[in-house]
Amino acid sequence: MMQSQIVSRPRYRELAAEDTAGAHLLIVEGDTLAPGQMAALAAAFAPVADRLQTWLVSAPATALALGKVRKLQTVDEAAAALDALQEGFGIADRLYLQGTEPFMWSLATVAGRAGLSASQIRMQHAGSLKRRVWCTHCHQTTENVTTNIATCAGCGRELLVRDHFSRRLGAFMGVMVDAEVPGEVPQREEVFP
Amino acid sequence: MSLVFKPEETFRGDYTYRNSDAAILRFPFPFPEDRYMYSVNIEPHVRSGPTDAFCRPFDIDEHYIAECRDRALTLEQDPGRCQVLPHMMTAQWDTLELLMENMAADYPEQFSLTKEGDVFGSRWTWINRPLGIEQQFIFGDPDTLPCEPFEYITRQAQGDFAICDQREDNLYLDAGMITSQADWSLEFNVGMNFMEWHGPVPLAHQAGVFERALKYLLMLRLGQPVRRLNWTMSINPRLDTSPESYPAWGPDRASVTVENAGGKVHLRVELQTLWRLPRSNAILFPIRCFLISIEELARVPKWGKRLHRVLSSLPPELAEYKGLTRYLPATLAWLAPLDDGAELATGTGPDITELAPV
Repeated sequence: MMQSQIVSRPRYRELAAEDTAGAHLLIVEGDTLAPGQMAALAAAFAPVADRLQTWLVSAPATALALGKVRKLQTVDEAAAALDALQEGFGIADRLYLQGTEPFMWSLATVAGRAGLSASQIRMQHAGSLKRRVWCTHCHQTTENVTTNIATCAGCGRELLVRDHFSRRLGAFMGVMVDAEVPGEVPQREEVFP
Repeated sequence: MSLVFKPEETFRGDYTYRNSDAAILRFPFPFPEDRYMYSVNIEPHVRSGPTDAFCRPFDIDEHYIAECRDRALTLEQDPGRCQVLPHMMTAQWDTLELLMENMAADYPEQFSLTKEGDVFGSRWTWINRPLGIEQQFIFGDPDTLPCEPFEYITRQAQGDFAICDQREDNLYLDAGMITSQADWSLEFNVGMNFMEWHGPVPLAHQAGVFERALKYLLMLRLGQPVRRLNWTMSINPRLDTSPESYPAWGPDRASVTVENAGGKVHLRVELQTLWRLPRSNAILFPIRCFLISIEELARVPKWGKRLHRVLSSLPPELAEYKGLTRYLPATLAWLAPLDDGAELATGTGPDITELAPV
């Protein structure tokens, strides 16, 4: 499900430091870290280690990190911290994100509002494939969706979760699955574990 | 062409929308051949074409007043159908100027525009007789209009309108007045680039259609608009087939039978044009929607037969994407008796000048 025919669906790559002169901020969703992953990141970011800050969000206490390290409890806290960065962003700065899609896009949309362009943000997926789903009917979002069909947290309709993705909303589209014949709802299956 | 409006017709509830004989004959039928597949079918938007619907930059027909009223109803329920990102103000004025100038030039009995100058700061007077509007304003000063300029003028035009900002060798969907769309959400798509907003279209990406179309559009020149047709089908003459209101119109798709298909199933054709805008360098993308029941359409024998052949041979992915799957069998059964299998002339024109009486 990380690949799709639908081209609005983002693709993610393994993180690699870009050797630009600016500041480098790496934000990692700590509880998605697999064993050995921090070591892999350390190697990847060695070229910019002196300009690197790492934010570890909801990480286990034992997690080691790189450069100047800041520990944050939740993604909301990280988003607020990103929003509050006093210096703002320069053209040589880079933001690297690693974690689940809802985690990464929560931060990427904040960074976009703070003036960072899409080409300055790098993302690597880690952890669950769970999705944030935006309801086309009531425009509310439903979090932590792991099934092909999900009940909308806003209007209660049964939504078919599509691959069409909005970067502005950081969410996948959900469309009422039984609008044409009420009650005709296919089997719910766990497809984004 | 003289215009006789039908202000009382409706696109919801009792669905009293119908096409006159003249409106049927001028319909922009989209199928030149018996089979359909995606292509980059873009051509210059010149003042000629297979039917009268192609012949003016911004077409206005007998449904004008009723369509403007339906748009107002949709906006009242969902103001988010009109959205403009903040950097698009110059493009808003470009759009207002383009529409007012062309409407006044092509339909002088209905519209007039008096300008005391062409530059920002000039006093303009706009008169829209069908809707009973007379508005004096300062071109370039949004405070002199009742709402922002893009919303103001597109409330007085037929069809949906999007504005694409051009940057980074791409087009971004940064403004829209979208109340008669074929099942796509402005709220979801606003701000997307060209590839992203076409993301869900099947088959065409693999064929390279969007890369070629984007390349072409990035080169679009001022004063040389282009056009293409797109199509789908709708149950009932409903303009607002948005995903937002899908719970309201979705059940109609399950209501089609062989007996009622003729009046219920409508071919929905979009005459899409693209215009480079002069000050903003953005691209205006009007999507003019024409609706016709298959019963009305089949009064042009060539069109009834051809529609039958196109729908019979449609790739299943396309039928699914366009939402036809559920009622396609009933539609084909309704059309089949009209198709004698005779060879049809290539091209989309009706090849007749008058309809046989019903």
